[in-house]
Amino acid sequence: MLKEFRSVTLGIIIAIIVAILVARVLHLTTLDTLMTIMYFMGIALSLNIIMGFAGYVSFGHAVFLGLGGYVYILLVYFLEPLNQLQRAGFGIGALLVSVIAGLAAAALAATVGAAVLRLRGAFFAIATIGLDFTILYLMKAIVPELNPDQFFGGQVILPADRIVDKETIFNAFFIATVVLIAVNYYIRKSPFGMGLTAIKEDEDAAEVLGVPTTLFKILAFSLAAFFTGMIGALFSLNGGGVDETLFGLNHSIDMIVMIVIGGLGTVLGPIIGSLIYYELYDLLLVHYPGVNLIILGVIVAIMVLFFPEGLIGILRRYKIGNVRLRDILE
Amino acid sequence: MSSSDVILIVDNVTKRFGGLVANSRVSFQLKRGEILGLIGPNGAGKTTLFNVITGVYKPDEGKVIFKGEDITGKPPHEITRKGIAKTHQIVKPFNDMTVLENAMVGALFGKRARQVAMEEAREIAMDSLKLVGLDAFSDEFAAKLNLHQKKMLELARALSAEPDLLLLDEVLAGLNPKEIEESLEIIRKVKDERNLSVIMIEHVMHAVMNISDRIVVLHYGRKIAEGIPEEIANNPEVITAYLGEPELALKFVKRRVTK
Repeated sequence: MLKEFRSVTLGIIIAIIVAILVARVLHLTTLDTLMTIMYFMGIALSLNIIMGFAGYVSFGHAVFLGLGGYVYILLVYFLEPLNQLQRAGFGIGALLVSVIAGLAAAALAATVGAAVLRLRGAFFAIATIGLDFTILYLMKAIVPELNPDQFFGGQVILPADRIVDKETIFNAFFIATVVLIAVNYYIRKSPFGMGLTAIKEDEDAAEVLGVPTTLFKILAFSLAAFFTGMIGALFSLNGGGVDETLFGLNHSIDMIVMIVIGGLGTVLGPIIGSLIYYELYDLLLVHYPGVNLIILGVIVAIMVLFFPEGLIGILRRYKIGNVRLRDILE
Repeated sequence: MSSSDVILIVDNVTKRFGGLVANSRVSFQLKRGEILGLIGPNGAGKTTLFNVITGVYKPDEGKVIFKGEDITGKPPHEITRKGIAKTHQIVKPFNDMTVLENAMVGALFGKRARQVAMEEAREIAMDSLKLVGLDAFSDEFAAKLNLHQKKMLELARALSAEPDLLLLDEVLAGLNPKEIEESLEIIRKVKDERNLSVIMIEHVMHAVMNISDRIVVLHYGRKIAEGIPEEIANNPEVITAYLGEPELALKFVKRRVTK
């Protein structure tokens, strides 16, 4: 009986995915709007793997967004075969190139993670901010050298013959989002996810209980970086180029806020959180331009102070009839 | 004692923290199926020794041999997979996980790590919870349990790992006499049912004297005595070691009188 109810989570996820598809097919909104929604969903679900499940707040997570973006844009800028590939297969090609960008981000995370994941709490957060700035300034130093005539200040703009049409990018974005949701769902249901949650609750106890904590943390951090890198790549492709703002702390904060609003360590949390955040962001911008970010900040502060488990976390406390919501909302 | 009867050898283990010698050349052996009491005044180095055995600390000198294999300095999770499980003196429940999920972590990453699927882990965990009498609470969050229940959860988590050797660090501390009796019953039962070897650190003297086959006494990091409970209770050096704690000394004396 419980098993049937558990599929409620899957039902909600599938409904959201279908809604995006329907909106796309019936042209209910622009492709850019849908891609922005998937971008927010994507970065929230990515960070969720290390922050939500394992409890490590990667505050400089935008480093992987920026790195993924730069790797992708530079690859298709300089390598004609990859420029060809990114146009092929109705988005599959672009997805494949973004996988390379993701792998670069994952490689950075795995390398650095071995060191910084020894740090806990605020120290880990600060270390990731340091990483963000390090890679940012590295890019600002290296990128202009690659093509001094074009890449002023590290900004790379794709020429017309390297830009991809929005339908193709949408498809790539869509597949990436579905995979990312599936990965989150699998982790939530798997021994790996149990191990990560144990790490979040008490890392020392987890280790003594047999959880390979170091390995799991590095895996989670690398996975989170991989998907963030992919999203950064597709986001940059859609923008037709990349610059240093992609490394901005505001992106890291976006991710954290969405997860906190929705509910840490759940699958639905980051999805719902990103939808709310997107709507809120838009609404406030339209109705209260100028003070929109101040209002958003206050809302977030109230959420963190009074509802730190987020929306899904709060719902999970309650029952409807005989059904405990925590059995059906994952 | 043939070597196959011995499950654990602690050989000349020394562990220092700066100038403090927490364990000094401690050696003892544990037979299969044995319950060994590890006692000593506060600060004697008992928990440190557990941490050396489970790999939390690497000893400065000496070796730990488990089932014929040198496990000295291996990371804790590897040692757990080889079949050693430990309960914590200060309980460390995963508060935001349910009681069942807590025990499942033990099953998933214990001796049969990577061979146990989620469903099987659920069954193993439920069996452990039944053994320690927590099955009625399986769906509660661990944070809601009282101290006795949290101690039993530590035990259930350790048992779910399906260990050969169980290290119990003061599972009886802070419990009332009735709870102590119940817990002793549970420990005896699981030991027999699962053919476990057990080392228990305990301050509740009558309990440890009662349940242990043999006892090792640590004092200032050294082993000062080893033997069956009667020998230990009558050992002058042990009594002297405990004299700084009049109540415990009195318990020893009383026991001698009643014998």
